[in-house]
Amino acid sequence: MHPVAMAEATQKRTHWAVWLGLLLTVLGLAGNAVSFARLSSVAFTWLIMAVPVLGAMFLVLGVVPAFRQPQAYRGKLWGSILAALSLLLCAASVLLFVFTRQLPSSRGAPQVGRRVPEFTLPDSSGQPVSLSQLLAGTSGATPPKGVLLVFYRGYW
Amino acid sequence: MPVAISVDPPEVSAHLRKTQGYTFLFLSDPKAEVIRRYDLLHPRAGPEDNDISRPAEFLLDSTGTVRWANFTEDFRVRPGGQQLLAAAQSLK
Repeated sequence: MHPVAMAEATQKRTHWAVWLGLLLTVLGLAGNAVSFARLSSVAFTWLIMAVPVLGAMFLVLGVVPAFRQPQAYRGKLWGSILAALSLLLCAASVLLFVFTRQLPSSRGAPQVGRRVPEFTLPDSSGQPVSLSQLLAGTSGATPPKGVLLVFYRGYW
Repeated sequence: MPVAISVDPPEVSAHLRKTQGYTFLFLSDPKAEVIRRYDLLHPRAGPEDNDISRPAEFLLDSTGTVRWANFTEDFRVRPGGQQLLAAAQSLK
């Protein structure tokens, strides 16, 4: 290899923004995967939506120098591939955020101070259970101070 | 006492209770009739394009009156133990 080319090759480096962008993208991917676990907070969902967006930004910022100053920065090919993938992930992250927030307004649902409608539904062994039964408690024992109804999507 | 309600049929809830070791009550509303009555229906949001419930929690006192209600804006976000305990304290 020509001595000048060798010198140039050793001086070429990957722009720091590529590494930061890569880290943020991986964190964002992991974050979105675990966000379906029980302990997500509202703040966390905003965070892991934004992290891949930042990751894509930094990756693009870090790949541009490889084209503008190719003698100083490397990563034209694999940097571009990573940047493209991170943009896809960024879009997916935003779409996921929008999707999990598309819930009905439920304006007609029972509010604080109102009595809830009575119901009778089968339990996991098929036995019918009524709300008034639950509120009254099992015979002999003291009635419970309250009942927590937890409506969930199912299909866990 | 917590009561979990969804469109899952009794067999599915029984399996969930067994595998997760839950001891609280699970009730099945496969046609989403009670879910509808409580205005919690999330049409076609299930994996088979079926109607399911949106997530919601209601703390009732012994008269069946709502003392605390929670309607999450994001189905990944659920009330934690602390939040539920704090709500339960208000029943004393």
